[in-house]
Amino acid sequence: MKRLFTVLAVLILSISFVFAGGSSEAAPAAAAPEMDGSTQGTNTFVEGGTELSLWTFQELHVAFWTQMADEWNAQYPDRAINLTVSSAESGALHNRLLIACQAGVGTPDIADIEIGRYGSFLRDGYLLPINDAVEPYQDDVIMSRITMYGDGTGNWYGIDFHLGESVAYYNMDIMNAAGVDPADIVTWDDYLEAGKIVLEKTGVPMCVVETNDLFLPQLMLLEKGGQYVDENGNPNIDTPEHAEVINFIREMIEAGVCIICPGGGLHEEEWYGFMNGGGVASVCMPLWYMGRFTDYMPDLNGKIGIYEIPVWNEGDVRAVLQGGTGTSVLKFTQHEQLAKDFLAFAKLSEFGNRYEWEVLGFDPIRTSLWTDPTITENPDNKYLQYFLDNPFDILNKNGVDLTAPDIRGGYSAAYSVLCSTTYVNAFEMSIDTPAEELLANEQATIIYY
Amino acid sequence: MEKQNLFKKFIYSQKTAPYVFLLPFAISFLVFFAYSIFDTFVMSFQRVAGGNTEFIGLKNYQVLFNPIFFKALKNSIFYMIVTCCIMIPFPMLLATALNSKSMRCKNMYRSLLFIPALTSVVVAGVVFRLMFGELPNSFMNQLIARFGAEPIIWLRRVPTVWLVLFLLCIWRWTGVNMMYFLSGLQQIPEDLYESASIDGASAIQKFFHITVPLLKPTSVYVLTISIYGGMAMFTESYILFNGNSSPNNIGLTIVGYLYKMGFEQNNIGLGSAIGVVLLCIVLIINVIQLKFNGGIFAKRKEK
Amino acid sequence: MAEVSRKVLPTVLLMLLFTVIVVIFLIPLALLFVSSLRPGSDLMRYGLNFSIDWANANLHNYRLLFSGQNAYFNWYVNSLIVTAIQVVLALFLSSCVGYSFAMYDYKGKGIAFTCVLLVMMVPTEVIILPLYRMITKMGFVDNFLGIILPYIVIPMLIFFFRQYLVGIPRDFLDAARVDGYSEYGIFLKIMIPLMKPSFAAMGIYEGMQSWNNFLWPMIVMRSNNKMTLPVGLQSLMSPYGNNYDILIAGACFAIIPILILFACFQKYFVEGMTAGGVKG
Repeated sequence: MKRLFTVLAVLILSISFVFAGGSSEAAPAAAAPEMDGSTQGTNTFVEGGTELSLWTFQELHVAFWTQMADEWNAQYPDRAINLTVSSAESGALHNRLLIACQAGVGTPDIADIEIGRYGSFLRDGYLLPINDAVEPYQDDVIMSRITMYGDGTGNWYGIDFHLGESVAYYNMDIMNAAGVDPADIVTWDDYLEAGKIVLEKTGVPMCVVETNDLFLPQLMLLEKGGQYVDENGNPNIDTPEHAEVINFIREMIEAGVCIICPGGGLHEEEWYGFMNGGGVASVCMPLWYMGRFTDYMPDLNGKIGIYEIPVWNEGDVRAVLQGGTGTSVLKFTQHEQLAKDFLAFAKLSEFGNRYEWEVLGFDPIRTSLWTDPTITENPDNKYLQYFLDNPFDILNKNGVDLTAPDIRGGYSAAYSVLCSTTYVNAFEMSIDTPAEELLANEQATIIYY
Repeated sequence: MEKQNLFKKFIYSQKTAPYVFLLPFAISFLVFFAYSIFDTFVMSFQRVAGGNTEFIGLKNYQVLFNPIFFKALKNSIFYMIVTCCIMIPFPMLLATALNSKSMRCKNMYRSLLFIPALTSVVVAGVVFRLMFGELPNSFMNQLIARFGAEPIIWLRRVPTVWLVLFLLCIWRWTGVNMMYFLSGLQQIPEDLYESASIDGASAIQKFFHITVPLLKPTSVYVLTISIYGGMAMFTESYILFNGNSSPNNIGLTIVGYLYKMGFEQNNIGLGSAIGVVLLCIVLIINVIQLKFNGGIFAKRKEK
Repeated sequence: MAEVSRKVLPTVLLMLLFTVIVVIFLIPLALLFVSSLRPGSDLMRYGLNFSIDWANANLHNYRLLFSGQNAYFNWYVNSLIVTAIQVVLALFLSSCVGYSFAMYDYKGKGIAFTCVLLVMMVPTEVIILPLYRMITKMGFVDNFLGIILPYIVIPMLIFFFRQYLVGIPRDFLDAARVDGYSEYGIFLKIMIPLMKPSFAAMGIYEGMQSWNNFLWPMIVMRSNNKMTLPVGLQSLMSPYGNNYDILIAGACFAIIPILILFACFQKYFVEGMTAGGVKG
């Protein structure tokens, strides 16, 4: 028996030594922390700095945060911080954060919280208001991106990485082959008609609709002034506007202009492959989606045009915000003011916004950057290189008055039902059920109390 | 000194020893299990919100009995029943074949079939998700295209979703269950088969009249762990659907629902209520099952 | 001649059958391996399949694992440590308990054994939340102890060891007592050596469980460099596209240690299982 254990122990130890050796030999090569696959990072250590921790669910954000900490330490040496950033898969991260909040221990000082789950964290009072930290920047940024992470009574809790203004991306190879100029598409009816031509000339559908997420219907709903929650924050998906949106998308599906998104959503491998291979002519997504094109659709380089999204009636506002991540300070932090100020600095300062645009491809919340030629005409920027049109033209044209989704309280519960059953039923499974009836049924399955 | 001796004597006495041996389980049971079950039970009557937790009576249970819950329950029970039906006869047949005297290289085949069990569910789930991708270039669609079939949307349609889940289960667990049956087979006396051969029994007759009945203890054991595994299935569906989000909940299991409500929706009270119901269901199924099969879990007759 | 073919034919057929089955079973792993040789972005463009351009196949993804730019090796070593500790503790403690059930009669034994069966039947997911709270109170969050502690007395193993030992006549114990062994001496010096095959069988079983455990370590561990392998691998899957370069190669590499362990001890596995829990 003893021998058995010895063999086992020796085996395991030798394996671990081999590996430990392997990793330490390779250590010098690891000098660049922003390389792919780094799921944890720290800033350059500062003696006497305050320890802060931050959780994110996107590994690309790790380097953002550590660089922001370095810059913060350079600008405010008397308030220096040592920031530790950990990243984990989104579901895992949010669950861990939630359990830690429930228990009241083990939370980080700051955390990225995804928009779909923000409401539930807010509702149970786990976040701190950050009004005083945001106020110095108030005149330079789009406030609707900040007030949306609020409770409706004037307190704000989170700041996003980006503006997230929605645009229409067109595959110009396909549009040119069909002889349709996206600039002529103003209304959704135009879009549908153009789609019919594209389908006829090229055999390719105009767009896709997700069944596991809600970007297209939400976009259309926001344009109509609709929301998924009522004025008290209770889930309310059974509205006439929502039914109209569903009926219009169904009309597009019936005409063959719109199909169900391969893989079910716009963040699935199947979809990236499908779009990359020229399987569809256009997609409406926020500007932060540019990064998915550059990363996962290399074959479309130099073929994608960026235009405004269609509207319901000519002359309507086209400025809509979607998606996002509200970075917030947890109420369990020991360094309340420092965490808040650092957060506001990272997300709202010019330095932070430049990084967000240049490295992450996020449309900046700071409006001054929209007209800064070093940003908007930078020939080395990989996003400006990839796309045929300059995204800042749309930002400037649409102005600063943007409509944001209402994500209070019941949004999380509604979101879960919308993305698991409502849109599957509406567009795929029960396509013949009248929209009003379908929405009433779906509304009844939302659990919120 | 005297005291220490007494204590030593007490600890070393034949009466105390079994309790000392039992101690690890007793501690772990009371601390980790009993207390947790109690805590779950209490929380199932609360709205749990960190410091703002409040008692809400039966509200969680009233909300719980909704169509999605029953769908999840149905899915779990269906999965459990089918996996039990596949994962007993199939590995048993394989084990019998592998055990046959005509077979060569037994160890090699046994090990190779066991390899899938050694991969993590996370890995297996990712591979299966990509293998059964819905575009024409995924492995399975390329395969069926060889036979002239159109690409299939495997993971978003009802019958094929189950096919993938069952294949994943067969893939991971056949080797393990086969191993259980193989060891069961070692205990069947060789002369039983020999005398059956002399009586002119065919291989099939021998299988049904000797192998199957004599493997009953093993089968009951495998059945018990399959019931447990079937009702507790979660990770497979979590990874296969990229985070618990199957369209129209076609792949939602009861544990998945617990996870969805308790963690994703931040409704821990409701999650706890689901846990309590699941606990009751599993206990009932097992009690019934053991009543029928009895035998190996009951107290063995002492020699 | 006919005699020979009658003997050879079944062998050939059986071998053929098993070869086909084994090939089918190994397809997913082969796919995984083939994909690990090409860039992760190829998966998005061409899907998971065998059509690979061998000229461009390379070990770059594996080099990425070894390059130290990510926490992969931390995860790997963590998993090895956690698995080793957990297996050794679980085998020792569970065999103690199983031994007490098999070899002694005492008050409360029936209740205790019922409790073992009860724990065996309840999915851990049911109690994961209170369990987490307890671990937090003990201060073991983000600590290997937090992962290990709730899983060192395994009902499944207790049950198995009991079945294994119940076959040993109790007179044996009396004889040992006469020889001057204490109760604990009997267990440590006589029983443990006797239980060798069952330790191997349960070692593999528990090793597999521990190496692949996912939900619990995911909830307990915080720091990235302290994660275990399945949790770490899963952290590479993000809503914005997965990091397939490392994910696939890392997944391939993760199979290796447990494969070695299994290859070394698989003969004990069947032997142990045979003597153990599956007797009538």
